[in-house]
Amino acid sequence: MTDPSQSPATSSNGSKPLLELRELKTHFRVDEGLAKAVDGVSYSLREGETLGVVGESGCGKSVTALSVMGLVPMPPGLNAGGEILFRGENLLLRSEEQMRAIRGNEIAMIFQEPMTALNPVYTVGNQIMETVMLHQGMDAAAAREHAIGMLEKVGIPSPLSRVDEYPHQLSGGMRQRVMIAIAMSCNPSLLIADEPTTALDVTIQAQILDLIADLQKAEGMSVLLITHDLGVVAQTAHHVAVMYAGKVVEYATVGELFSNPRHPYSIGLFRSLPDLAGAGERLETIPGMVPSATHFPSGCRFRTRCSIATDLCASQVPSLDPMDGTAGHTVACHHLEEAEKL
Amino acid sequence: MSAPDNLLEVTGLKKYFPIYRGILSRHVGDVKAVDGIDFTLGRQETLSVVGESGCGKTTAGRSLLRLLTPTAGEALYRPEPGAPQVNLFGLSERKMRALRRDLQIIFQDPYGSLNPRITVGNAIGEALSVHGIAQGSELEDRVSELLRLVGLRPDVANRFPHEFSGGQRQRVGIARALTLRPKLIVCDEAVSALDVSIQAQVLNLLGDLQEEFGLSYIFIAHDLSVVKYISDRVAVMYLGRIVETGTVEQIFENPQHPYTKALLAAIPVPDPARRSQRVHLEGDVPSPISPPSGCHFHTRCPVAEERCSRETPAMQACEEGHHAACFLAEVCSST
Ligand SMILES: Nc1ncnc2c1ncn2[C@@H]1O[C@H](COP(=O)(O)OP(=O)(O)O)[C@@H](O)[C@H]1O
Ligand SMILES: Nc1ncnc2c1ncn2[C@@H]1O[C@H](COP(=O)(O)OP(=O)(O)O)[C@@H](O)[C@H]1O
Ligand code: SF4
Ligand code: SF4
Ligand SMILES: [Mg+2]
Ligand SMILES: [Mg+2]
Repeated sequence: MTDPSQSPATSSNGSKPLLELRELKTHFRVDEGLAKAVDGVSYSLREGETLGVVGESGCGKSVTALSVMGLVPMPPGLNAGGEILFRGENLLLRSEEQMRAIRGNEIAMIFQEPMTALNPVYTVGNQIMETVMLHQGMDAAAAREHAIGMLEKVGIPSPLSRVDEYPHQLSGGMRQRVMIAIAMSCNPSLLIADEPTTALDVTIQAQILDLIADLQKAEGMSVLLITHDLGVVAQTAHHVAVMYAGKVVEYATVGELFSNPRHPYSIGLFRSLPDLAGAGERLETIPGMVPSATHFPSGCRFRTRCSIATDLCASQVPSLDPMDGTAGHTVACHHLEEAEKL
Repeated sequence: MSAPDNLLEVTGLKKYFPIYRGILSRHVGDVKAVDGIDFTLGRQETLSVVGESGCGKTTAGRSLLRLLTPTAGEALYRPEPGAPQVNLFGLSERKMRALRRDLQIIFQDPYGSLNPRITVGNAIGEALSVHGIAQGSELEDRVSELLRLVGLRPDVANRFPHEFSGGQRQRVGIARALTLRPKLIVCDEAVSALDVSIQAQVLNLLGDLQEEFGLSYIFIAHDLSVVKYISDRVAVMYLGRIVETGTVEQIFENPQHPYTKALLAAIPVPDPARRSQRVHLEGDVPSPISPPSGCHFHTRCPVAEERCSRETPAMQACEEGHHAACFLAEVCSST
């Protein structure tokens, strides 16, 4: 198990992480048994930085984020251990009321499909106003001014008329801007963005990523960016955590991960990218598919798809350990030397 | 461009959706979803159709197969090299039904197109019995063969769609499309919902099947890195029109239309050493109900000129096989 004092962010740089997960476990009781959706996730995010979290669907990216927000439905969810340190304090020990205050002021979240997060029967202005009236005690007139200002800030044209429109009157890109406006209206120090551009076209995706980067620079906030798109991560993140089957299998700076991926799963992900294949060349694939969260393999969970797995991989869980000579690059694999030859 | 053995030559394809208003259901306008597009498709060729959502890709694909009734245009289909062409849009329903065997489609989420109460084996075999091609144990054998072909174990035939992962369901969708030995498959966002490692498996499968059966694909997609990988030729659509076509090299290495350039610039490159500081397109796609005058792209075009809002640029050849509809595109002297 990883020694917390050796966590990547504190060891490679003196500055304290804003958010640090230590062996976080969030499980679900389901008909088939216990789904270990998040089962020992450790990563950290420093002030002002962007941490990209990647991995295939179902690996636990969203449940991790919802755990940080205190928004996992319990039951069926349950906290099975670990810590979520935000400014050094464990959020898992906070009351629901305290968490509500943190969600409004310190940590905000945006989702893939803004339509499901926006209330269809209220104007976009009302939804921004509600947030600031609730959390900052503004009066209605001030809140409306604030809402118009926020719409302008997130690049919505003619905010004076848009403020009175309903979500369905806006395009997908505009709705995501509104979500960002709501998220930003309380000046959070952490923005969790869960696949914020997955449902958008590339030109609109580029606009939204630019917007998040601009706001981050202006406000100095940290961003936890969840995505399955390695291109998006390469363009935006400082650090990257690669997740597989409820665990982090590799963590490094973006430059280090993309130039020197060490975990067999990360290596496989990169090789499956059509970008990197020549025309007509066969794509390399990772055989098989992601195991079910109720029936993870023993030992290393990737072993059922790993070409270099051994008996050791079936009997022992590899811990996320720092690699020699690389600042803050951690990998969870028993056979790093063999992996290097892949 | 008419080659004697082209599988398909489409000209002037339009699909309008009428808009009715009021108690008298007055016809007040049209959604010009596809507004006059031309393209050709060779044998064993993959033509990708790209563009932002709402630009008319799905409508074009469905109109071509007459799953929607085209408003105008001609689609000349030549089943075999040297055989006479037939206009798909001029055929009676009955004659079209016979041709459906040749022309198949697969969707982004095969879940929506698979009946949850029918086993995948029956879903795949259905077309064989409907067309009276195989019955009983012969039908079972054909289904097993198809499942094996798409990389599934034959014993999954008795399972129901919900028992499959997204990638497996897409394989079932492909198997079903292959049942009648088609010549053309329209793949509408067929890999868009899949994770990269599974997407790679399905892309390889599509490539293998193309070679084995000489299939042609119309590959509708919005992920340009996938398009670059799989296509022979590419058509870029904007607001119901094709604005540029060419070989995959021409489109990716030497794009001529400002919209194509913007699309390519927006791709997030999976290489942190190449972070882009590129200027990104502003604004949203306008409504196809009242598209901008002149060049549809002029409201977002970074290099628009005064005439662009008045005149509609025609498709012009920039090099052999490479056409773009922009006043500023390089025009080659020949062609
Ligand atoms: N409310 C829930 N009840 C039961 N299982 C859940 C619930 N939410 C998520 N899960 C399970 O947790 C696992 C991880 O899901 P998720 O974090 O959404 O994955 P990702 O975001 O990486 O695609 C999945 O197996 C999913 O089915
Ligand atoms: N049945 C329909 N009735 C009215 N409008 C439609 C219908 N189907 C599609 N459209 C409109 O036609 C345009 C093109 O849609 P579509 O072909 O689905 O685009 P794409 O596949 O490129 O995203 C869009 O503006 C869409 O709203
Ligand atoms: S621990 Fe074993 S199975 Fe897991 S990734 Fe490393 S070599 Fe493969
Ligand atoms: S014709 Fe004009 S507006 Fe249209 S793409 Fe070319 S330069 Fe831009
Ligand atoms: Mg998710
Ligand atoms: Mg579509």
